[in-house]
Order: sequence, then C-alpha cells, then structure tokens
Amino acid sequence: MPLKGDPTPSERMATSGGVVISHEDIDRAHDRDRVSEIRAKRGTWSRARLLWLLVGPGILVMLGENDGPSMLSYAATGARFGIGFFLPFVVLTFVMACVVQEMTVRLGAATHRGHAELIFDRFGPFWGWFSMVDLMVGNFLTLVTEFIAIRAGLGYFGVRPAVSVLGAWLVLFVALMAHRYWTWERITLVAAMFNLVFVPVALLSHPHWSAIGSALVTWKPFPGVTPEIILILLSNIGATVTPWMLFFQQSAIADKGLTTHDIRFGRIDTLLGATLAALAALATIIATAPLFAHGMSTGNFEAAEFAQALRPFVGNWGSALFALGMFEAGMVAAVTISTSSAYAFGEVAHRPHSLNLPFQQGKSFYLVLILEAAAAAGLVLIPGIPLVYIVLVVNVIAVLAMPPALLFLYMLVNDREIMGDLVSPWWANVLALAVVAVLVGAGLLFGISVVAPHALTLIGGK
Amino acid sequence: MDRPLSSGSGFDGGSANEDDLAAVVASLEPDQIISTKEKHHCPRRKLTRAEMVVFWSLRIYLVFMFGVVLYQIWSGVR
Repeated sequence: MPLKGDPTPSERMATSGGVVISHEDIDRAHDRDRVSEIRAKRGTWSRARLLWLLVGPGILVMLGENDGPSMLSYAATGARFGIGFFLPFVVLTFVMACVVQEMTVRLGAATHRGHAELIFDRFGPFWGWFSMVDLMVGNFLTLVTEFIAIRAGLGYFGVRPAVSVLGAWLVLFVALMAHRYWTWERITLVAAMFNLVFVPVALLSHPHWSAIGSALVTWKPFPGVTPEIILILLSNIGATVTPWMLFFQQSAIADKGLTTHDIRFGRIDTLLGATLAALAALATIIATAPLFAHGMSTGNFEAAEFAQALRPFVGNWGSALFALGMFEAGMVAAVTISTSSAYAFGEVAHRPHSLNLPFQQGKSFYLVLILEAAAAAGLVLIPGIPLVYIVLVVNVIAVLAMPPALLFLYMLVNDREIMGDLVSPWWANVLALAVVAVLVGAGLLFGISVVAPHALTLIGGK
Repeated sequence: MDRPLSSGSGFDGGSANEDDLAAVVASLEPDQIISTKEKHHCPRRKLTRAEMVVFWSLRIYLVFMFGVVLYQIWSGVR
C-alpha cells in the first residue's frame, strides 16, 4: 500500500481508489459498520442495541450542562424560593434546550461538519470570529467554575484544593488516552450518569409529593419580580441553554459519524438526555427546598456549604451524595466543555479535530483541550482571586451570548443549500424564534433590573 | 456495506490492505471522508440587508449587555 510520506493537515495515511484515507476515517468506518450491521436486523433487541450505539452526544450535552454553576443555581433556587414557580419553569427551560439541540442534530448529521466550521464557511471569518470569541470567553469562564465546583465538592470530604483540582485535570487527560471517540464517549457517559445522585438526595429530604404535583401544574406560588428573582431566572435559563452546547453536540455528531438515517435516534438521544438532566435539576431544587422551609439564609452559599447545611434534613449520606454530585457535575462539564473548545479551534484553524486521532496526529486538538483545562484549573488555585463573581455571572453571560449563537444556528438549519430537504419545518422555526424571543426578553429584563431596578414596578415588580 | 472491515484492521498505514481501505470508503458517506471534506468547503452565502441588520442588532445587544454585567460586578465589588 503506497503511503504518503508528506504529512498534510489530516495526516493522511493511505489511498484507496484515489480517495485518501486517514486513521480517523478507519475508526469512524468501524463504528458505522457496527451500526449498519445492527440496523439490518429486526426485532426489539436489535432496536435497543442500535439505540445504545447511537446515543451519546445528546445525553452528554444535556448532563454536561448540568454543571457546577447550574447545580449551584438549582440549589440556590430551592433554598431561597422553594419549589413553587421554579419546578415548571426549569422543565420549560429543558423543553427550550430540546428545541435548540434538535437543530444541531439535523445540522451535524446532514453536513458532517462542526458548528464553527459551518459558520466560518457560510458567513465568513468576520462573523465567524465573533462567534468564536463568544464561545471561547464563555467556555473558559465556565471551565473555571467547573474546577471551583470540583474543589468545593471534594473539599467536603477533606480533599485539599490542589489535590482535587490536579486530580480532576488528570482524569480529563486519562479519558483522552483511548484516542477513540467511542471509548471516550462511553467513559464520559458513565461518569455523567452520576449526575442522578441528586435524586436520592431529594428522596432523603422527604419531599411533599402533593406540593410538587401542584407546583408543576399551577406554577404557583409566583415569587414576584425583583432583581434577585430575575437573576435566578436568568441563571436557571443559562443552566440549560448555552452556546457551547450547540458547538459540542454538532461536532460530536460529526465525530461519531451519524448520518441522516440516524436523525431519529439523535432526537431520542437528545430527549433522553434532557429528561435525565431535568430529573437531576428538579431533584436538586427539591433537595434544598427544606432550607427555604426552615428560613435558613443561604445567600452566599457555595457548593460545599449547601451540602453541610442539608445534613440535618438529608443525613450524612445525603449531604455526602450532594457534595459528590457537585464534584461529578464539575468533572463531566470540564470534559465536555474543553472538548467543545478543541473541536471549534480545530474546525476554524483547519487542523485535525477528532477524538479518534492518535496524539501525534491530533496534537493541536488535544493540546487546546488539555491546556485550556489546565489554565482554568490553575486559576482556581491562585489564592485571593475573586472567583465568586465568575460563578455568579457565568450563567448570565451564557444567556446573553445565546441569541447571536442561535441566529447562526437558525440560519444554517434553514439553509437549503447545505440542508436540502432537512431544513426546519415552519413549526420548528416558530419554536426556535420563540426561544430567541424568551432569551432576548430575559436578557433585557436583567439589564433593566441592574440599570434601573425601580422600573420593575412598571411591570408589576417590587 | 458490502464487506465488513477485518476485525482490528490494524491500520497503521503499512499493514492495511486494499480491501480494507475499499471497505472504509464503502462504510462512510463521501463527505464523511476527511480528505474529501478538506477539499470541499461549503460556499460562502451572501447576507441580505435584513439579515445584516439582525446580525448587527444582536451584536450590539451583546456588547451592551456585557457592559451591564461588568457594571453589576463593579457595583457588587463596591
């Protein structure tokens, strides 16, 4: 087999019938081969196996977004306002996330390209760089908060900050060593499932099921319109819909090799992920609601403090699980968010970008991933840095950066030249535009609450 | 897929055989193959005036709102 000695951007290795084949192609072809084999069979068991092969990006993106600041936001919601209005509101935010992420499934499967690459190709570098700067700034700040969550979660068990942060960075590094998308995805999926540890914590808090049912149906009691409520609303929206999710899921779908035949399973994957993530989010609100019921002041609580304060209500096991959940939330998000940055960088710089690449061939991809995480981890360890402000604003920044990111997605998914017949139907466009309107409205409300809080009285605020 | 890839095809450039490589090409859609993707990029689209207005409006919105966030942090620090 003649080899090309001259390394090119994709480090090609061989040719077949004039087509240049790379290591990445071989790995992806193996995965597709397995899918084709199972798809050819009939029966429930084969369907289940096909689902097992095709799920991944949707669950990872949804559980990945249940990250450190998100879980902290849900914990603060339950502790400060109880379950009332916020349980159905959080369910609504996950519906919004499904609407948005479904578009990335279609886009990734139809084009086999990542989100950043498509934005640069279709809209040019001027708009492309805007979206990249939004993504990179948001991702780095969020990564810092993930390491804060890791530090706080393990701090509950007495682990020293340097050990917890460096240990987490090493775990992230080791997960990449398989140099195989499939293996990386399965390892991260298993880790992501630990997000559900918030469910037993909620059960240990002896929730009032009738009150939960009533809140989900009636959206009451409505807590009013105050700057604090608006901030928590924005935090909860930013806990489910953020720009990195668009970039990650589309790139992961392209890397996994999904095609238009797999879109139905991609949707199921997304829905499954949203259901699991919503369950963990609701459980966190329910778990911390006893702090609200007992009038405990939790204004400046961080993750570990929530776990300690919950001990009288959920016991030692419950509070330990809560702290473990915070660690897990930060760990999985650190993996997925740094991967989304690396994908985007590779797509824009036209460098190889796949988790199927050996280190030598995907050097720039892996280096961006590892170094971004290392910088965020290092920042957390510098004494005296006011990290609390980053935690407070990171979800807000995500909500504010989302409308421009969604506009690119909306236009790409309606672009018949690249999508063919898979362009969005009218009702999907109405839903997408409704999400944009909600996000812009929430952002403007936040702006008013900061710049002119007295103006809130005009819309019934206090 | 006409013929499955030989188990652990051991693709290291030197040991892959022609059949294995042909199977790779058959397994993937043409635009999934990296070298093909690198050669063919999606063409640039021309933005209409209305689209440009929306793009710039959202960009200005974002810059303004970032200013609000910075103001909030500044007043928090004070």
